[in-house]
Formats: sequence, structure tokens, C-alpha cells
Amino acid sequence: MRLKPRIFSSKLTRTERLVYGAVTVFFILSCLVTIWPIYPYFSHALPLVLGLPFGLFFLAVVLVVSFSALLAVYLWEGRRERPDSRSSPAEERR
Amino acid sequence: MPEWMVVFAVTCSYLVLSLLVGLLSSRGTSSSTEGWVAGDRSLGFVILYFIMGASIFSAFAFLGGPGWAYSRGAACFYIIAYGTVGLAPWYFFGPRVAALGRENGYVTQAELFADRFQSRGISGVLAVVSLAAFLPYLMLQMSGAGYVFEVLTKGHVPFWAGAALAYGVVLIYVFQSGLMGVGWTNTLQGIFMMGLAWGLGLYLPHRLYGGVGPMFEQILRKAPQMLSAPGLGPGGEPWSWGAFSSSILVSVIGFSMWPHYFMKMYTARDDRTLKRTVVWYPTFQIFLIPIMLIGFSGVIAFPGVKPADEILPTIVTSIGLSPVIVGLFCAGALAASMSTGDALLHASASVAVKDFWKVLFEPDMDDRSERTVMRVLVVLIGALAYVLAIVAHVSLVKLLLIGYGFIAQIAPLACATFFWPRTTRQGALWGLMAGFAVTVLFNLVPAIDWQGIHPGIYGVVANVVVLVLVSLATRPMDEAHVARFVVQ
Repeated sequence: MRLKPRIFSSKLTRTERLVYGAVTVFFILSCLVTIWPIYPYFSHALPLVLGLPFGLFFLAVVLVVSFSALLAVYLWEGRRERPDSRSSPAEERR
Repeated sequence: MPEWMVVFAVTCSYLVLSLLVGLLSSRGTSSSTEGWVAGDRSLGFVILYFIMGASIFSAFAFLGGPGWAYSRGAACFYIIAYGTVGLAPWYFFGPRVAALGRENGYVTQAELFADRFQSRGISGVLAVVSLAAFLPYLMLQMSGAGYVFEVLTKGHVPFWAGAALAYGVVLIYVFQSGLMGVGWTNTLQGIFMMGLAWGLGLYLPHRLYGGVGPMFEQILRKAPQMLSAPGLGPGGEPWSWGAFSSSILVSVIGFSMWPHYFMKMYTARDDRTLKRTVVWYPTFQIFLIPIMLIGFSGVIAFPGVKPADEILPTIVTSIGLSPVIVGLFCAGALAASMSTGDALLHASASVAVKDFWKVLFEPDMDDRSERTVMRVLVVLIGALAYVLAIVAHVSLVKLLLIGYGFIAQIAPLACATFFWPRTTRQGALWGLMAGFAVTVLFNLVPAIDWQGIHPGIYGVVANVVVLVLVSLATRPMDEAHVARFVVQ
């Protein structure tokens, strides 16, 4: 068959595929840390952080981190799409 | 003026405001079906953000949510946990769904899948399942509204009248303005809900215990088992990690598949708008934390409230708040109920016509009659849900739980549509049916369940296995056709 199963389009550049792959892995991890067998290590009541039980604080942190991760990807895409930007920040870092 | 009348007056002002916003909002959109169902695919970030935020958080936010925290403690953390993934899958397949919608004129979820698999059966099955999941959900919203009205006016506005008042308003603006009515009112309602949740969530612990920290310290001394996951089960016994984890998994899988959210992907003005909505969505969602604080604030100060869902109305009416504040609370709780109810009503009518009636019985229905029938259905479905909510005392929560398991079954179908070209019509249809059957089986015979794992998980496993095996055993579909849908 000519059509292959793909997660990311073959038209994407190497950098794009790396970034999207990393985000996908990140979201799978952020789901896994909230369930058994990982979450039991973080689900205790003490210490209270910002007044919240540790298990709840931990989830709030995961939520904020995953929000930031997706926001970063969104901003990164925005910079790449803008015609006047000569190179993408991801490539500069290399 | 007696206190209940002040409460009533404040609430009615909110209802009038909702009605006005809802009626004025259809200006500027076309009078086509696409205009009524998908707002001419022209929605900007703010409206889309509030549609998603406010329609996801229902009457559950102010009744069931605090009730969970109050009676089951850390078990309620699962609601925050599945939000860490939340809508993120949309970031990746949303633009694809939107593009296919523009090319082929889809406005509902089943239209996309039925086209990919060339199957009227899939359309019919998805329509029936969506409607079966929507109806109890809508009834819950209506009874939530009636209930809040009755309790906060101290019984002066009875249950049936409260539900009728709130949903009369919803009916009118959905009928008149379709998606734009849902969108603009949800913006108003979303702001109300968020304000109320943050206000009460920070105020109540402060007022009753002197702060959030001191509140949890007191709970820790009296009931430490409430503060560490997986918390307590429905009967107050310790909940299992299997049930906690699988509830999160099934919600993560199903969350981005609910047909009434899914169809909102078609409404975005462009891909950046859609992605931006997905990115900012957690900022709405984090209001679940104050919602939980509200529930926890009742644990020590108001023990023994039953059913637990009544904890927030109980607190609000017993700490001597000014009736204006109580009225605002009533309005906020109605906003939570109505902003979900309107989206459900709107989606039910659209799905019933587009994916069921038109596909199975009247393929050449024209745009004008589609829109007319949809509007008639808004009234009929609204009336049906109302009568059932008032008269019948079915266990709605049970129906809704089965519904969640069902919705998760759409996820393998979506993945197959976009990522696995070898999937065939038979594979998709039989996978879906197997998923539904297994979910129902595990719901009906809880004895075969292991470790309290959610029935929907077993369904998804059966679904994937059948989808793959049947697809491999049947002839591949036409490549040129499949290429329009899959990622290449």
C-alpha cells in the first residue's frame, strides 16, 4: 500500500518533527504521572504547600507545566510562521 | 422586601441579561444551516475560549464538584488530573478537522467519520449514542437549575418553575441564534462562573477557618484519609487506585471526543485561533481548584449534609450572606448549568438532523428545511428533557457514567481516521460496536470487573483489537479517498 501510517506529516522539517514528538511524549508523561503507579509517590497530604495538600499542589504544578509547554510550542510556531524572522529559535540554539 | 425576593430579583436580572445577549448575538451571521450550527466558521478566540470553558463545566461545577470534595476527599483530584492533558490532542488534529470541515462542509462529528469510512451505519450509530449521552446530561443540567432556584429562594420558587424559567431563556436564544447565541451567552456565563468560583473558593475557607492552610490542617487532624489520593469511594470506603487511575484515563481518552465539543473545531475562524483556544483552556480549568476548596470547606464546619451535592447551597444559605450575594451565587450556578445545557440542546438538534434523519431517511433535504427542523427539534428535545427531568426519577448519574464510557469509544475511530490508512469501513464499524457492547457489559455485570477499573477502558481495548483485526481481514479502502483524511 502506498499510504503509510504516520503520526506527523512527511512534509514537516526535522526540527518540527522533533518538537512535536517531544510535546507528544511530554503529554503522555504528564498523564502517566497523575495515575498509578507514579502518582502514589506524590499523593500524600503533607507538607501543605501554599495551603494545599501536597498531592493537590503537585497536580496544580503539572497543570501549569503542561500549559506552559503548549504555550511555548504555540509561540514557537508563531515565530516560524512570521515571514520576517530569518531563522527559528530552535535552529539558532543548535 | 423579603430576602427571597431580593435573591429572585438578582437572579432574574441575570436571566434577562442572558436573554438579551443571546438574542442580539445572531446579528452578522448568515441564516444558513452552517450559520446556525457552526457560526459560519467565523469564531474568534474570546468566544471560542468561553464556549469551550463554560460548556465543559456544567452544573456539576457548583453541585457535584464540591459534593465530591466534601464526601470523597482526594478522590475529586482526578478531575484536575485529567485536565493536565485536557484538550491538548486538539492542538494536533484540530486544524486537520477544521480543514476537512471547510473542504467538505461538515458541521458535526459523525459527518467526518461517516465520510472517511463511507458508512451510513457509523453516522447512525454515532448519532444514537450521542443523543443517548446528551439527554441525561441535559436533564441533569435542568434539574440542577431547578434545584438551585428552589433552595436559594427557600422554596418560594418551586423546582419545576425554576427549571422552566432558566431553560425557557435557553430555549429562546438557542432557537433564535443557534451557535452564536450559545457563544455570546457562554462568554457572559463563563465570566460569572469563574468569578463566583474564585470568590467563594477563597472566601469560604477564610471565613470559616481563617485561610486555606488552616482549613486543611483541621481536616488533617480530624479526617486525614480525605487528603491523600485515591481518597474515598461513593460509600465512604477507601477508593482503589485502579478506579482512580482508570477514571483519569477514560476521561483523558474521551474528553476531546465529546460530540458537542468536537463540532466546535469547525467553528474557529482559522487554525491559530483554534490552537490558541486549546493553549489557554487550562486557565479556565484551574478554577476547579477553588471549586474543590469550597467542598473541603464544608468538611469540618458542616458535617453530615446529605446528599453531598447540597453542600454549597447549604453553606451559602447558612452563613448569613447578604441576599444580593446569594442572588449572585444563584445566577452563577444557573450560568454553569445553562452554559452547558445550551450547547447540549444545540448539538442534539444538529446531530439528530444531520447525522440521523438526513443520512438515513432524507438525503436530499435542503438547507432551509434542515435549519427549520433543527429549530423545531430544539423545542421538542428541550420539552422532552424538561418533562423527564421533572417527572422521572431515573438514576441520571448512572446513565451519565455509561455515557462517558461510550464517548471514549470514539477515540480509536478518530485515531484510525487520521493515522492508520489501512482501517476499513467494517473494521471501524465493528470496532465501535464491540467497544459499546463491552462497555455496556461491564456496566451491567460489575462482578467481572477487576480492581474497580472503569468499564470504558475494557471497551476501548476491545474496540482497538476488533478495529485492527477486522480491518486487516477486509479489503483496503480506495487510496485516493483515504488520502484525503490521513496524515501524509
